[in-house]
Amino acid sequence: MNATKSLLSQARQPMIRFLGKRTTPSKIDHTPHAHPASPTNTLPESFASYRQKAQQHGPLNQTLSYSTGGRIGGQSGSSLGPVAAGKGEVFDRSELPARFQRLSWTQAEIEAVESGGASLFA
Amino acid sequence: MYRALLPRAAPRAPLRPAGSQTAFRASNIYFQDRLRRTYATETEEKDLVIIGGGVAGYVAAIKAGQAGLKVACIEKRGSLGGTCLNVGCIPSKSLLNNSHLYHQILHDTKNRGIEVGDVTLNLGNMMKAKETSVSGLTKGIEFLFKKNNVEYIKGTGAFRDEHTIDVNLIEGGETSLKAKNIIIATGSEATPFPGLTIDEKKVITSTGAIALQEVPKKMIVIGGGIIGLEMGSVWSRLGAEVTVVEYLGQIGGPGMDAEIAKQTQKMLTKQGMKFKLNTKVMGGDDSAESIKISTEAAKGGKEETLDADVVLVAIGRRPYTAGLGLDNIGIETDDKGRLVIDQEYRTKIPHIRVIGDVTFGPMLAHKAEEEGVAAIEYITKGYGHVNYGAIPSVMYTHPEVAWVGQNEQELKAAGVKYKAGSFPFSANSRAKTNLDSEGMVKFLADAETDRILGVHIVGPNAGEMIAEATLALEYGASSEDVARTSHAHPTLSEAFKEAAMATYDKAIHY
Repeated sequence: MNATKSLLSQARQPMIRFLGKRTTPSKIDHTPHAHPASPTNTLPESFASYRQKAQQHGPLNQTLSYSTGGRIGGQSGSSLGPVAAGKGEVFDRSELPARFQRLSWTQAEIEAVESGGASLFA
Repeated sequence: MYRALLPRAAPRAPLRPAGSQTAFRASNIYFQDRLRRTYATETEEKDLVIIGGGVAGYVAAIKAGQAGLKVACIEKRGSLGGTCLNVGCIPSKSLLNNSHLYHQILHDTKNRGIEVGDVTLNLGNMMKAKETSVSGLTKGIEFLFKKNNVEYIKGTGAFRDEHTIDVNLIEGGETSLKAKNIIIATGSEATPFPGLTIDEKKVITSTGAIALQEVPKKMIVIGGGIIGLEMGSVWSRLGAEVTVVEYLGQIGGPGMDAEIAKQTQKMLTKQGMKFKLNTKVMGGDDSAESIKISTEAAKGGKEETLDADVVLVAIGRRPYTAGLGLDNIGIETDDKGRLVIDQEYRTKIPHIRVIGDVTFGPMLAHKAEEEGVAAIEYITKGYGHVNYGAIPSVMYTHPEVAWVGQNEQELKAAGVKYKAGSFPFSANSRAKTNLDSEGMVKFLADAETDRILGVHIVGPNAGEMIAEATLALEYGASSEDVARTSHAHPTLSEAFKEAAMATYDKAIHY
């Protein structure tokens, strides 16, 4: 047994180690960084300015934990942060993503209104 | 809002696309419809829409389907698989394999004790074999789409706004899709050569090179990278006199190790290919039957005019974003036309991601595939994995050339202290018995830690063997780790083990 022990102590330590089953890290930084294969290793200014402006499940410039709960929907909506504007802050409808904005009239709709709906059957 | 008040005899399509209700609706529905209109969600919103059904796009679509997302994939080619399956990796491999067999039967049977009679080429049937492989594989993806609940839309997609994609359907008509997430995977196209008009008959790209109707007498390949050498090999084996013109001082592109590139060039020269390195193509004249290409030494000086029946332009590929409507969403490209993304494949608009050839990184199908999986994992789990330091490259000439990690010139330039070990296939028992023993395996490992930094192979089956090197690199193995792993005898992979032995100590059989 001692011989085995001494042999073991001399054994080479492989660089490959079993790291266990892969898991999603509990904390992930989702703020945009340059892609690892990016030749310039920088992000254009537009990334930061878009996030500054954009609202998606609350302001994008906040670090949110919506996807760190393991999956989308893994956390309650209230924990996603306020969607409402802060005190003294006002969101204009035109600043919201297009799906929240008013649709513009199509020519066909205008014609439908003007003709009392008759154009739909023309 | 008025349309909800009106009885409808006709569908609502003239007003808004993709409306589903056509019958008269009671007034209480009116309010729901108003709400719906306010939020502009008339079309059924998908969890994910992918533009492009190439390797990046279709893999992402299948992975998304498996993750339970409501996903649609838009492809304009009419068949899935993109450049790789339709006009790239797959058809070229069919031609490479069959042209190699033909060449071997012509030149390499007597010393194996096989006498063959007249051998003739039936190019039509060789092309048919290629098409059978391609159609089988593309249909296979359609089956996988059905199996994984991926909606396949044949058409050309363009952004209307950040969440809406208008699709011009191949079979006529239009539709539009709304999506919470969008992935752009529109791939790449061959970069044209200024002054030469690509007609895919006389002046060809890789697309034309896999579909020539007859073997040209003389062929010039502009660009000595992987595509140029593979397609040049095919037509050289089938009887064409092939001359490769390369601007750089080595073949295989900048990623290939210089020592390996030199050896490979020697082998290809022995097979009949001609090389003009350090040579710049100044222009071409394709007005006559024979095409004239004027060249000059890269550093200036010696001029020469070459003529050929067919010129293959293989100077690289560029991202393909034409007609995508990027202006409508304000997404920018970099100086090479690549879409700019962050570490999670997001554009500046976070729900629009980009993967594959159309963005950063090497234009390789397996890299695109990895990104397809990772992008979906970022959407569903918030975390994905692609190791850009361990993406193998393979050139499917004979012998094959494969590498992963850094090459010697890169390590020197970075000032990394390394040790190198190599093993020739001429000392490998299996290569000897196969009478196919040209080439070598070369390891580069950190001088201090012995961690593998790069592996470069030229030799039989290099493309398969590189998988072991990639795994070793991914796990951060040392050359001793590989050397102490048992490899079956007699196999070509023993050369791999022996090269690892030569790196940390000494090879046994050399």
